[in-house]
Formats: sequence, C-alpha cells, structure tokens
Amino acid sequence: MVLSEQLPALIVISPLICAFLSPLLYRRHARASAYLVLLSLLLSLIMAAALLIKVQRTGPLFYQMGSWPPPWGIEYVADPLRVYMLLVVVAVSLWIFIYAIKDLEHELRDEVIGWYYTLYSLLVASMAAMTLTNDLFNLFVLMEICAITSCAIITIKEDRECLEAGFKYLVLSAMGTGCFLLGVAMLYMVTGHLNFGFLQEELSTAVLNYPLNVFTAAALFIVAFGTKAALFPLHVWLPDAHASAPSPSSAMLSGLVIKIYAFSLFIIFYRVFPRSLLDSLPLSEIVLWLAAFGVMFGSIYAMLQTDLKKMLAYSSIGQIAFIFLGIGLDQRLALVGGLYHIAVHAITKAMLFMAAGTIIYATGVRKISDLAGIGRVMPLVMVAFTIGSASMIGIPGTGGLISKWYLALGALESGRSLFVLVILLSSLLNAIYYMPIVINSFMSQEDFGHGVKEVPKVLQSALVIGMVFVALTGIFSRPLILLLEEQMALFF
Amino acid sequence: MAENTVIAIQIAIVLAPIIMTPIIMYSDRISDKLRNGLSAATAAITFILTLTLYPFIKNGGIIQLSLFEILPNLEISIRLDLLSFSLAALASFVWLLATLYSLDYMAKEHACGRYYPVLIFTLGSCQGIFFAGDLFSLFVFFELMSIIAYILVIHEQTEEALKAGYKYLVMTIIGGLALFFGIIIIFELGGTVSLGVGPIIEESSALGLIAFICFLIGFGMKAGMFPLHVWLPDAHPVAPSPASALLSGIMLKTGAYGLIRVFFSVYSYQLIQNSNWDNILVVLAVITILLGSAVALTQTDIKRRLAYSSISQLGYVLLGLTILNNNAITGALFHIFSHAFMKSALFLAAGSIIWKTGKRNIADFKGLGRQMPVTMGCFSLAALAMIGIPPLNGFLSKWTLALGALDAGMLFFVLVLLISSLLNALYYLPIIIPAFFELPDGVVVEHHGEGHDEPPVKIEEATPLMLSAVVILALCTIFFGLTPNNLAFSLSRLTAAFLLGGGGF
Amino acid sequence: MELLSGLINNYYYFVAIILFVIGTHTMLTHSNMIKKVIAMNIMDASVFLLFVAIGYVHGGRPPIIAGNEEVLYVNPLPGALILTGIVVAVSVTAYALSLIVKIHRTYGTVDCDEICKIRGDE
Repeated sequence: MVLSEQLPALIVISPLICAFLSPLLYRRHARASAYLVLLSLLLSLIMAAALLIKVQRTGPLFYQMGSWPPPWGIEYVADPLRVYMLLVVVAVSLWIFIYAIKDLEHELRDEVIGWYYTLYSLLVASMAAMTLTNDLFNLFVLMEICAITSCAIITIKEDRECLEAGFKYLVLSAMGTGCFLLGVAMLYMVTGHLNFGFLQEELSTAVLNYPLNVFTAAALFIVAFGTKAALFPLHVWLPDAHASAPSPSSAMLSGLVIKIYAFSLFIIFYRVFPRSLLDSLPLSEIVLWLAAFGVMFGSIYAMLQTDLKKMLAYSSIGQIAFIFLGIGLDQRLALVGGLYHIAVHAITKAMLFMAAGTIIYATGVRKISDLAGIGRVMPLVMVAFTIGSASMIGIPGTGGLISKWYLALGALESGRSLFVLVILLSSLLNAIYYMPIVINSFMSQEDFGHGVKEVPKVLQSALVIGMVFVALTGIFSRPLILLLEEQMALFF
Repeated sequence: MAENTVIAIQIAIVLAPIIMTPIIMYSDRISDKLRNGLSAATAAITFILTLTLYPFIKNGGIIQLSLFEILPNLEISIRLDLLSFSLAALASFVWLLATLYSLDYMAKEHACGRYYPVLIFTLGSCQGIFFAGDLFSLFVFFELMSIIAYILVIHEQTEEALKAGYKYLVMTIIGGLALFFGIIIIFELGGTVSLGVGPIIEESSALGLIAFICFLIGFGMKAGMFPLHVWLPDAHPVAPSPASALLSGIMLKTGAYGLIRVFFSVYSYQLIQNSNWDNILVVLAVITILLGSAVALTQTDIKRRLAYSSISQLGYVLLGLTILNNNAITGALFHIFSHAFMKSALFLAAGSIIWKTGKRNIADFKGLGRQMPVTMGCFSLAALAMIGIPPLNGFLSKWTLALGALDAGMLFFVLVLLISSLLNALYYLPIIIPAFFELPDGVVVEHHGEGHDEPPVKIEEATPLMLSAVVILALCTIFFGLTPNNLAFSLSRLTAAFLLGGGGF
Repeated sequence: MELLSGLINNYYYFVAIILFVIGTHTMLTHSNMIKKVIAMNIMDASVFLLFVAIGYVHGGRPPIIAGNEEVLYVNPLPGALILTGIVVAVSVTAYALSLIVKIHRTYGTVDCDEICKIRGDE
C-alpha cells in the first residue's frame, strides 16, 4: 500500500472530508473551519504536485476504486496531461479561497458562510475527480455534483439577481446533463462499456455496425458540454450567473468550472471516440465554427456592457471559445495552445474578478463609468487589473501571448489562416474594451467620487499572487508547454 | 575586445535602463534632484557603453548569440552588427541630449515622477529592439517600447492629449497584431525567426506575401507610412518637446529598422526585388513623401508642421530602401542619422521657444530671431539642412539617395526628391525668414531723421543646458555634412555594403 | 414497414425518446418554474427508462443467483447505474424546488416571464 499509488483517490477525498467537517466546525469556531478548508486544499495541492512528479517519472498511473478492476469498477487515470489540469484546478482554487476568506464576510450572511465552505470544498473535490476519472457514469455523477454546487455558490447570496440567474443556470445545466446521460445510454447500448479505454477499443467496430447511435451520442455530447462550458450559442446563462454571484464564486466559475467541461469534451473526443469517428464526422468542424463565432460575439457583447462584472463574464465567453478553437482545429500545436490557455485564462480571469471584487468591497462601485480616477486611490488593484487586461489582449510577457502563439501556429499548420485573423481580431476587440477602463482609472481628470474603504492585506496579497502567476505563465512557460507538447504527441 | 565582454556590455546596455526605472521611480519620493541626476546618469552611461562597442564593430565583428529558449524552437537571442550598432549609438546619443534637455524643460511641469522613469525605460527597450537577434524578441521590445511611450504621449493629460494617446495606442496594438501575424507566418514557413541564420524565406508564396504585407503594416505604422500615419500628427505635438524629439527622432526609426531587417534578414532582398513586392512599398513611400510635405504646408502649429515633416522624411528612408543598390541604401541609412539630428534639433528648439514664450503658432514667430538668437539660429540651421542646402547633412543624404535612384535608372524618384525639397523650403523658410528679418510684435520702430533705427530687442534665451543640447544637435548637422568623410557616413556606407553583400550570417 | 415494425418491437426505446423530447421541450419553453422542474424529472426518467430497457435480455430472468444453473440473466448493471442516477436527479430536484421557494418569496411569482418583466422594470 504505497502512499503514492493512492494519491488519485486521496486528492479527491481531502476536500470531500473537509466539506463534511466544515459546517460542524463552523458552529464552534468560524475561523477554524476556514483554516480547515485551507489546509485540505493545501494538502491536495502538495499531493497533486507529488503525483505529477511521480507520473512524469514512471508513466501513467491507473487507480481502481476499491480495487475492483474495470469493467466492474471505476478507474481513475493519472497521466501528465490530466495531472496538469488537476494542478491548475487545485492551485487556482486554493488561491481563490485565500481571497474568499476575507471577501465573503462582506457579501454573505454570517450563518451561511460555513455552508459556503462546504459547497466550495465539494466543488473542488468534484472538479479534481473530473480530471482524473476514466468512467462515463462516474463523470455523470461528478458533473452533477459540480452543477449543483456551482449553482449553489451563486444562489447562496440570496439576492434577487442571484436567485434568478442561479435557477436559469440550473435548468440549462440539467438539460445538458440529460443530453449527456442520453448520449451515455446510446454508447452503452452498442458497446456495453462505460470505461474510456474499453469504449475506445469497442467503438472502432461499433461505429461500423451501429453508426447512428454513435453519431447521436457525439452530437449529444457536444450539446451537453457546450451548454455547461458556455460555447456559443449555448452561453446564455453565463453573463447573469457570473455577474451576480459573489466575487469568489465568479472567479471560481469563470476560472475553473467552465474549463473543466471543455477539458472533459477534449478527453472524450480523443480518448473515447476512435480516430475514425473524428475523421468521418465533422465534429471538430462544428466545434471550430461555433468557437470562432463565440470568440467574436463574446468580445462584441463585452464592449456593450456597462457593469464591470458583466463585461468580464462576456469576456469569459470569448476566452473559453479560444479553448474550443484549439480543440476544433484538431491539430497538435493548436491543442497545446488551447490547453495552455486553460491555465492562462483561469489565472487571469480569476485575478480580474478578484480585482473587480476588491473594488466592490472597498467602494461598492460596479459601473464602469464610475471607475474614472480609481487608479490613483487604489493603485495596487488597478495595476493588477492592467496586468490581467494585458494578458487578455496578448501583450508579450504575459501568458496570453503564448497561448495565442500556439493557436495561431496550429491554425496556420492546418492551413486555416482565417482563424488566425479571428484570433487577432478578438485581441483587438479585447484591447478596445479593456484599455479604456485602465486608461480612465489612471489618467482621468475627474477624481474618484466614492468613498474608499481600506483594502485588507489578504485581498492585496491575493492580487499580488495573481500578478506573479500571470508573469510566470508568460515568461517561464517552457516547462508546461513541453509537458503539453509531449502529451499531445501521443494523440497524433 | 573579447566576445564575452561585448555580449556582457550589450546586455548591460539593454538591462541597465530597465533596472534603473523602478529605482528612479522610487527616488522621486526622496528628492527631485536625485531623480533627475539618476536619469541623466543612466542615459550617459548607456551612451558611453554603446560607444565602447565601436572598436569591436570596426574590426568587423558580428555577434549572434541565443540566450535562452522561451518556447520549444523559439529562442531569445542578441545580435550585434553594423546596423545594430549604428542605430543604437544614434539612439543613445539623442536620448542623452533629450534627457539633459528635459532636466530644465520639465522643471516647471507636473508628474515628473512618471516622466523620467518612462523616458529611461523606453531607452532600454529601444536599445533592446536594436540588439534583438530574433524577430520574437524584437517584437517584445517593440511592443514594450510603443506601449510605454503612450505614457509620454499623454503626459499633459489634456483632453486633446488623451484623444491623441488613445489613437496612438489603438494603432500600436493593430500594428502589433499585424507583426504577430507576420512573425507567426515566418515561423510556420521557415521554422525559425532568428535574424542570424540568413534569409528565412527564399521562395515566393502567397503566405510569404501576406507576411510581407503584415510587416509593412506593423513596422510601417510605427514609421508613419501612409496610410497608417494618422496617429502621428496628433501624438507627436501633444507630447512634451523632449519626448516629441525622441518620438520623431528615434522611435520612428525603429519602424524603419524593422523594415530593413525584414528586407535583408527575413526575406532575401533579391526575392523581394524579383517578386516585385517592393512595388507596394515604393508607391506608399512616394505618397508618404509628397503627402507629408503637402499637408505640412497647411499647418499653423509649429509642432504639427514638424510632425508632418517627419512623415515625409521617413518616406525618403523607405524609398531608398526599396531601390536596393549601394548608394540608395547608404543614403537611406545616412538619412536616418541626419534626420535624427535635424528633427531632434528642430523639436528641441521649438520646445525652447514654447517653454520660454509660450508661442506655438507660426504666425507668432516674427522677430524671435532677435529675442532668442541662439535657439532660432540652431532652428534655422537644422531647417536649412532639412531643405537640403550644402554643406549640411541633409544635402549629403539627399544627394546620395538621388545618386542611388540614378544608378537604378529611376529618374522619377529624383523628381520626387526635388519636389519634396522644394516643398520643404516652402514650409520652413516662412518660419525662419520672419524670425530674423521682422520685428516682434509690440516693438515700435522709431524714426530718426532719414533712416530709422531699430531699437535693440531684449534677448531672452532658454537656459544654458537646454541651449547646449540644441546647439550640439545643430552642430551635428554641419559636422556630419561637411564632407562624406565623417563617422556617420562611413558607417552608413559600410552597413550598406554589409547588408547588400550578404549580411554577415 | 420495416421502420414501423422496428418501432413496435422496440417500443421501450421509442417511448423513452418521446418522453425525453417532451421533457426537454417543456423545460425550455414553458415559463412556469414548477413545470420546468417536473419536465426535468420527466427528461431524467426517460433516460433512466432507456437505460433499464437496454439492460433487458429477451427471455432473461431476474438477476438473482439461486443454485448453480446456467441461466440467462437480465443485465443488472444498468439498474445499478440508474439507482445512482435517480439519487442524483432527486437531489437536483430538491435543490431546484428550494430555489423556487426562495424565488417565490423574493419575486412573488414562479412564472419566468413575469420575473423577466419585473427585472426589466427595475
């Protein structure tokens, strides 16, 4: 019973246990439950790093739950690509939680904060498990946990907008899950397997015998994951949900939750569907064109917004479409760009939402037009916002450029230069709506007209951590890129 | 001189200003004098360090070294050759003079704590552009310099300045995106973006043409090429005068530098000539020259007139670049030198006038020659050089360009040069002649009997530091123009031969 | 003809798909929130029905081992999966209903169109 072999399960169990213990502890001692969550996330992070080192050295790790081998048992796979995604999930969750400890006191009622910690831990546990799981039904269960908890961290605020936005999200999410389950049923009908590995083997023959089933399943999967990951035109729930939620929830939702579904779609496309299916059906084409429209419309809608968090939410739609662009191009370099963009956008969007949250915490201002001159009274927050915007635009030195570089290279290599233009145009549009905010906040003649509360050190340090992360993903991107390139070479 | 020392000096030249930037920002809180002193010292040290590279260059040394790998197949490298050195030395020289000038000019201004760090940072990134050994690092420094220079453009924070700055920023980002597209295509077609491995693209292709056009857009926008010049007439005048001198004098040249590298290190120039791609640049350059001069005639604000003049002068450089023979490239490179001296002198002199008297409208310049003789003298000297009067450096560069055009059998270009010189005269002479030969407003001529005595006009000059900067630059126009036997000209000739002869890979 | 006989022979699947479409359509188009939740349940139930029907083996016996004979059993795995699925659907329903109670308290109505109007007037 070597500890390192149990890591895949332990990483998931740690926040799961914490989720149950936290409300008990909260009644006695509120601070301690926050520290408990922090400790469990830190533990998960350390274990994820250890898992990465182990998997890089000795190859993929197959973990069977309860030692039941598949097809009877549920299998978890840890290979470098999935552990990279796991690391992103756990690291960013930990960082957002550091921010959340202080910010929640201001946004939620005191009694419910303990429940928020539970929901947060459950969300992290489910996302961590979603990266590792190798079984379709387990994926369904985890998707549902993720859906309920992500809706709940919006509606826990109990404002009018939150409730309506949360319900809309829940309904559309449930529709997505229903489609997903129907797709699973279709696949199970013709292969009798739910494990990814076995499915891929069986599907290469099943596609020939029962093509319609598999095609329906593929279409249903695209709809299901598209709805949950806010792929155009299934993105309609996102702006309300992310804008009205408390700021740590917005950061978590925009930063991680939508990414995990894009990642799951990628895994299903390449680990479940056989290559012959991807070649015979225009699945990647559909995703590619929807992503291209998403990139354009996300940016265009964002330009028209007056509320800061709504603008960031629409910007998320455009950016998640980049990841789908990478998946849709079906090319090694483009996928590297798309998957790297998961990490880059998670960090950048989380930091932007945290900056917006800090502004709301200190001043109560949400409208963009009221932000004139705020850079002079809250310099750290606006510098963080500037660096985040620079990453969104794709200025050299930030991670945004690296992912755009790879996406553009991939587009050129597959001979589709039109999408390079799409990427460039979206960068320009991003510049058009981010830059005026930054410029106005520092250079405006008027002074900032609202009172400014003092910003706690915890929030400031969270923003500083974010800036460091953005610079790291931009300048020291080599290790992660090499990891991704190696992994992508296995698929092609 | 050992290679390692040269590499160390190069890296120091680029990094020292960048590292000094936060130090200068911090020293602003301690005292103004400390901040000013540190800025001047950094500029001086950068200049001296750049000069120490000359012996190595004179011996024909070339450096191309890759520093570290940022992405697989993509390395950050540095390069030192004749072209890099020439422009880097020029840039640091003009920067030093502009910084010294700023010490007095900005003494009355606000937000100096923002101005000096940005000035020094842009110096560092400018040197980074010239010393970059591959397109990617060139792009990084190019973007950094352009975006940080925005802070210089909007320094005054008036409504006009903010609008001009916004236009500048949007066009910079468009240019940056075009450059990105071009670099990606080059990386895709050639597998590398290094500037030290010889021409990357040897064959003509549709993608190659698209990349060429992207480079034209990206670098041409910076160099104020028609039709991407629209930011220039707004951005250069609203900046403080030393910053305008730098924007017009050096930062435009980075665009030209980029295009030179594209012509010689990315594509082979024979390919460009044979595929007739240079025709695009020829047409645009000619339009730029004529348009810039023509519109300059209609401007009444001195700095706007000088900005339009810059647009047309850069057109000379681009035109010389397209002719692609020895004299033409020499002329283009030498014109980079001479225009830097002339335009910086003009902007700094104009700045002194605005600083001392607050006058920006040309109609108000009557009699200034009596009030500010030294400043107007330098202004006139630089203006005459722009028109192309021997023995000043402007004449030398236009003469060489014309020789190059004749060598290539393109009489039309000689005609364009002549027309433009005429237009130059038409818009500079109306400034300098009334300045010396008319009386300033408010001074009355008294009649004593037969003749009339003109009363002595009180001389109110700018401070000695500002004057010396202007005078040095104006003297450079004479010094580098008297004979072809000067440093700048020989550097240009050597560089042209070097580039046309293969480029040293 | 072949299509019709195929449909009649596999009427479980046919009914399940019809229920799925009814559920999805109602969930998306009807404005009453309670109806949406009911429709969600219908949709989930239809998929569960499909799953269980997949497991059915013609001429099979319930999957209980009694004695050591070689008997054809109905596939128990889908049934097990469905139990999990039902639990998940129930928890989502519970959460959705509690959310509707809260919304009713805040807005005074459970009709989506009216809520939109109220939000628009704000």
